[in-house]
Amino acid sequence: MGRPRKVSLTEAIGLINDGDSLTFSGFTIWRRPMAAIMELIRQGKKDLHLIEVNGGTHDDMLIGGGCVKIWESCWSGHELYGKIPGNLSRKFQAGELICEDYSHVQMLYRLVAGAHGLPFMPIFAALGTDILNPEYDMLGKVGLRDGSHPKIPSKKYEMYTESFTGSEVALVPAAQPDWCIAHVQMVGSEGTVRVLGQKYADDEAFKAADKVIVLTEQIVPEEFIRREPERNLIPPYLVDYIVELPWAGHPTGCYGSYEADGEFIKDFYTRSRTQEGFDEWAQEWIFGVKDHEAYLNKLGVSRLETLRASTALGYSQKVKRGSR
Amino acid sequence: MAGNDYAKVGEFKPIDLLAVAAAREVSDGEVVFAGTGLPMLAIMLAQRTNAPNATCIYEAGSVDGRPIDLPTSVGDARCHYQGALASGLWDVFGQLGRGVVDMAFLGGAEIDQYGSVNTTYMGGLPGGKRLTGSGGNADINSLARRTVFIMVQEKRRWVERCSYITSPGWRIPKWPGGEFVHKKEVYNKAFRGGPWAVISDMGVFRFDDEGVIYLDTVHPGFTPEQVRDKCMFKLNIARVSGETKTPTYNDLELLYKVVDPEGIFLS
Repeated sequence: MGRPRKVSLTEAIGLINDGDSLTFSGFTIWRRPMAAIMELIRQGKKDLHLIEVNGGTHDDMLIGGGCVKIWESCWSGHELYGKIPGNLSRKFQAGELICEDYSHVQMLYRLVAGAHGLPFMPIFAALGTDILNPEYDMLGKVGLRDGSHPKIPSKKYEMYTESFTGSEVALVPAAQPDWCIAHVQMVGSEGTVRVLGQKYADDEAFKAADKVIVLTEQIVPEEFIRREPERNLIPPYLVDYIVELPWAGHPTGCYGSYEADGEFIKDFYTRSRTQEGFDEWAQEWIFGVKDHEAYLNKLGVSRLETLRASTALGYSQKVKRGSR
Repeated sequence: MAGNDYAKVGEFKPIDLLAVAAAREVSDGEVVFAGTGLPMLAIMLAQRTNAPNATCIYEAGSVDGRPIDLPTSVGDARCHYQGALASGLWDVFGQLGRGVVDMAFLGGAEIDQYGSVNTTYMGGLPGGKRLTGSGGNADINSLARRTVFIMVQEKRRWVERCSYITSPGWRIPKWPGGEFVHKKEVYNKAFRGGPWAVISDMGVFRFDDEGVIYLDTVHPGFTPEQVRDKCMFKLNIARVSGETKTPTYNDLELLYKVVDPEGIFLS
């Protein structure tokens, strides 16, 4: 595995092939690697397979961009800023996207099994739901569970009566996506990763994936990040590529750095309710800007300054969030 | 008028009553799992009124935060301000699995008479409208001791059986066969409870011993029959115990001045 390489965003995303499976850092509209999402769309990736603990603005954007064939997760949407995932919903209805649903715990435990090198995890959560209805094994129905796809398990789940206490549990298969693309607040110059605030399911996402690309708000001297190793999450040898890219999480929020840009997300959601609307939006914010720097310049200093987090609180109190 | 007096109809909005009725379901000292939206108002109000020792866990991984600004979703940095922990899903869902969570607030696009909800396909498959999906709804309804749902009272959303069961109520299919049985028969040793109450903009509902919903109190301004007319199934209105208590002036002051002064949910 060795030490991670520092690369540009274009180079990092250039390594991802059509058809690869991806997972991400963050939670719904928080700390998603958005600059990488936009670059995946810019580079025209196709047939991606998303395997995520939960989705959000990032996966709905990728789906709108026509990059995704399979979505395996438990949730997608834009929280307060858009009640359904508009692109995902539309593409599913049109038969252009396969949605394989699990529950939050089921997806988490699939990634845990992947991260620990186990074939499955047993769980009680979500028994008696239509998630387990054999009719809704969406990958099975289209014949993708035939064993010829290394990232697709041969079964969606299995009921099992264990012999220790005689309990019936659901076994969910391990998930080991090809890539984890993460966005974090800080990486040491040799690749040690620090995540501030809630860790969500980052630990599992990093460790389940075969390869890891980390976008970071800043690279700091390794000596600095190793003064407090108890605050770090991932050692250098588990990271493959590092991209230093401030504000790479925008429009999602990044604890200690910036607020989620609700106005931006709401505008994305509103416009992407139709494919034409999404295409116009993408023309303006993805294809119409050369790179992440041009994107930030288009957002402008005053918008970014409003979003910038207070050092004391970890979030911004300057954003107008409600009606008062 | 004193702070503890009940406000009169016209002095509060329907959403205020939803938040207050939800807050009153929290018992002091409980460990509460809450999701985005009204549940946040409910738990923050409860901690300032009837349940000062209640602890809140948000599923993204914040434990016992003391927010000074209302979070807009569970991953929000505001959730873990002054928290005991800022951890992650493995920690908090592990606690849920262990049986630590006393009660939880949930929502849904469709609810059935057994307290199952649908947040995945409105109208089921094939052809239903795609919604967000489960998130933690299924897991929390499975393993919390008590769950309280906050729902909009629209006829098409209150159905005999959910068109897609995202989150398991009292009577559910036992897969892979799909026999429709009581939750105890599906969960066996892992069974520890389920839907406890549903709060809508028209009333407060509870579940009988068979796990079937009934109307407990009706909000001021509505009759039980009007509530029954907003259900696709024949709602039991024989056990109505009276009118839902309105918010107190103190509740309204806290909601608008302390919990949501920015007008995020209470616009």
